[in-house]
Amino acid sequence: MKVTVKNWHAIAQWRWDTGTNEDEGDGEGDVCGICRVPYEGCCPSCKMPGDDCPLIWGECSHVFHMHCLLQWIGTAASKQQCPMDRRPWVTAERKVNHSNGR
Amino acid sequence: MATDALRAQIAGKWQSAFSRLNRGEPGISGLLSFSEAWTIAADFLQPRDLADPAPKKEHDMQEVRGAFDTLSKSKMLPMLLENFLESMRKQRYLIEREVDQFMSQYDSTEDCQYIAGLVLRLVEWYKAWAPIPELGYTILSAYTLAFHTQTFSILPPSFASGFKALVASTLTLIDSDTLPTWAHHPALAYYNPKRPDVPLWSAFDQLGLLDRYESLISSVCYEHIEAHIQETCAGKWGEPMLARLREWMAEKIVPWMIMPYARGARNTDEARSMLQGIGSRFDFHVCKTLSDLRTKEIFDIIVDYPDSLCALQDLKECLQRVDQRTELVQTLRKANKKRLLHPGADTKDILLQYVSIIRCLRIVDPPGVLLYKVADPIRKYLRERPDTIRCIVASLVGDGESGDSLVDENEPIQPLQQLQVEDYTDPNWEPEPIDAGPEFRTNKPSDVISTLVSIYDSKDLFVKELQVLLAQRLLSIKDGNFERERRNIEILKIRFGESALQVCEVMLRDMTDSKRIDQHVQSQKSLSLHPTIISGHFWPPLQSSTLTMPGQLKELQDEYSKQYTTFKPDKRLRWLPQLGSIKLELTLQDRTVSADVSLLEAAFIELFSEKDIWTIDELTTRVRSIDRISAAKALATWVDMGVLKAGGDSVYRLLEVAEEVPTSSSAAAIQHLPAVEEVPTIMTVQQQQAEQMKVYWKFIEGMLTNLGQLSLDRIQSMLKLAPGYDRTIEQLASFMEAARREGLVTVKDGVWKLNR
Repeated sequence: MKVTVKNWHAIAQWRWDTGTNEDEGDGEGDVCGICRVPYEGCCPSCKMPGDDCPLIWGECSHVFHMHCLLQWIGTAASKQQCPMDRRPWVTAERKVNHSNGR
Repeated sequence: MATDALRAQIAGKWQSAFSRLNRGEPGISGLLSFSEAWTIAADFLQPRDLADPAPKKEHDMQEVRGAFDTLSKSKMLPMLLENFLESMRKQRYLIEREVDQFMSQYDSTEDCQYIAGLVLRLVEWYKAWAPIPELGYTILSAYTLAFHTQTFSILPPSFASGFKALVASTLTLIDSDTLPTWAHHPALAYYNPKRPDVPLWSAFDQLGLLDRYESLISSVCYEHIEAHIQETCAGKWGEPMLARLREWMAEKIVPWMIMPYARGARNTDEARSMLQGIGSRFDFHVCKTLSDLRTKEIFDIIVDYPDSLCALQDLKECLQRVDQRTELVQTLRKANKKRLLHPGADTKDILLQYVSIIRCLRIVDPPGVLLYKVADPIRKYLRERPDTIRCIVASLVGDGESGDSLVDENEPIQPLQQLQVEDYTDPNWEPEPIDAGPEFRTNKPSDVISTLVSIYDSKDLFVKELQVLLAQRLLSIKDGNFERERRNIEILKIRFGESALQVCEVMLRDMTDSKRIDQHVQSQKSLSLHPTIISGHFWPPLQSSTLTMPGQLKELQDEYSKQYTTFKPDKRLRWLPQLGSIKLELTLQDRTVSADVSLLEAAFIELFSEKDIWTIDELTTRVRSIDRISAAKALATWVDMGVLKAGGDSVYRLLEVAEEVPTSSSAAAIQHLPAVEEVPTIMTVQQQQAEQMKVYWKFIEGMLTNLGQLSLDRIQSMLKLAPGYDRTIEQLASFMEAARREGLVTVKDGVWKLNR
């Protein structure tokens, strides 16, 4: 017997590749350290999640909603530091093959 | 003994009496003429027997008048009257005899023609005995009064009912052409054949029956009106009846009313003013009867809305005249309780009826006091139903399944209205209606949806339910056309506000994004997989499972994931394998089978392409932890399609070559399988809870054994210590009640103890 798939309407859920292993747990519960909203949600000033409210990766391995972090960096008190570890904030370069790495 | 003074006094009296009778005539000739006049007058006035065959004695009227004149001069008329009334009393037996005769005829036949005969005969007596009019009004009225008193004392009690029947039969003249039997009475027949009752009425009047039986006559009319309304209006809601009834009153009843109520009228204006009082009483009765009738029918009228619009308008008009609002509320509440708010009624039907009630009572009573009173129990009841919200939401988004939508298409879409604080600076402010309850608010939400949503305290519940419904719909869309859903959400945004539906907005955007992404992926590499990619946090929790797709299905998924990650480098896909559907084509040795199946079914058949024989256990291990029931169900689908064949020991075999006409055993197996599966799926939520509750029974039994007797609160608080106990006290109460019915426990004054 040969099975041919003619048309498959599937349901999938997207998630940000934050480096944690997808298969461990369900990947939910990872929240932005600034607004405490899940990465897959959106920052308080946004209404649409996903590409409209992207994440930002730091060299220090911390990940935030981009809008949250930019707002933080914009304040004088931030001294351009990562809010988690107080190291100077350096945005990491993300590469396509990066996601397969860690 | 007699003193001189006394003698003189008596002599004086005698002298004056003599001179009065003698009228100053010479000698005693005056006295003689007086005596002659008295005899003539007394004989003239003597009540005679009508039944006496002897011819009526002829009196020389000249002579009689002279005699009366003489008596009047002697001031003896009062004496004569007294004498006359006395002789009337003596002759009374003559009338009594005839009355008895008529009444016994009536009593045996119940035919009111005898009553008519009696009345007319009495008039004859009355006329025969009446003194001549020259004697003056005083004597005539004294005579009439005496005659009335006498006849009334003669008439037996059954006369009243006979009289009533007679009056009622005059009313039938209005509608029918056939004359009642009494109309052939010789005294009536010569009169206008259309209205033989006219002389009858004047006979009633002469005998004083109209005054005496006034309430009886009006009750006859009331009954006639009631019967007419019952006959013409019952169950007819499609046309305005009140106006027609009033017309009927003016055309039919008013001409009749002139007889008993406006007898003395000389012209129409006079008649009108005489009829005014009684007329408005009858009009009131018409309104009262109609509103009683409509009140009784109100539930069905509401069911029939909007076809019953006219009936509602009638009711409104009646209620303005008659104060029957309380009755209406009570009747409707009772009817609702009996016919609507019971477990047998569908929630959708209850909602539909509730909406109709809202619409109908707004017509009857625009301020909404009645509605408020009627709606309260319905709202309470709906709040307790688990699927109320779902029903409301389904109708909000225009559930295509049923034709009746709660929402009127023509109703303008407007934002939900919230309760407002009363604005006292409003120049058009009006106080609340007097019969409004303490909770009543004049400016309650007036549109249907707002009213429905206000059943619950917050609209969040609706938004949540809406989200679930929208999710179900969107995920089941295969052709990527969700314009209808988008339109619905746009409409609902107006009602619920933009921010409340933000989540739904995200869901819709996920749909468009998925489409766009899929177009891109397909342009890179054509795949037969078209996923809907959702933002998990914005969708209602979807049942998750760990189904692992086998073979080429897995490859397809992986390929798509790879393409997706190329397109969106920062994102990854997580498949929700239990959702969605797949269209497969199976190429077997002798045939191809095309099927639209669920993912689990697809996974199984994919495994069968590896080898032909599998057991359920093997299959479930391959796809990872699928419970046997759903696995068996999925396999049964293929068995039904003739692709697989079920053997013993839950072994399934692929049929590369179709089996002609399934043998009885395999047919039995097909039918057998579903039957086995059905049993556990039917188990309701309540049953499951009852099963779980049995575990806790051990705890309860233990504590009642140790502590003797306990109140429900104590049992509940102690059970809370037990692991996993999550029941409410109400659930516990119903469980204890069930245990009591089984005879395990007894309860007294709210304290439970074991039944030993």
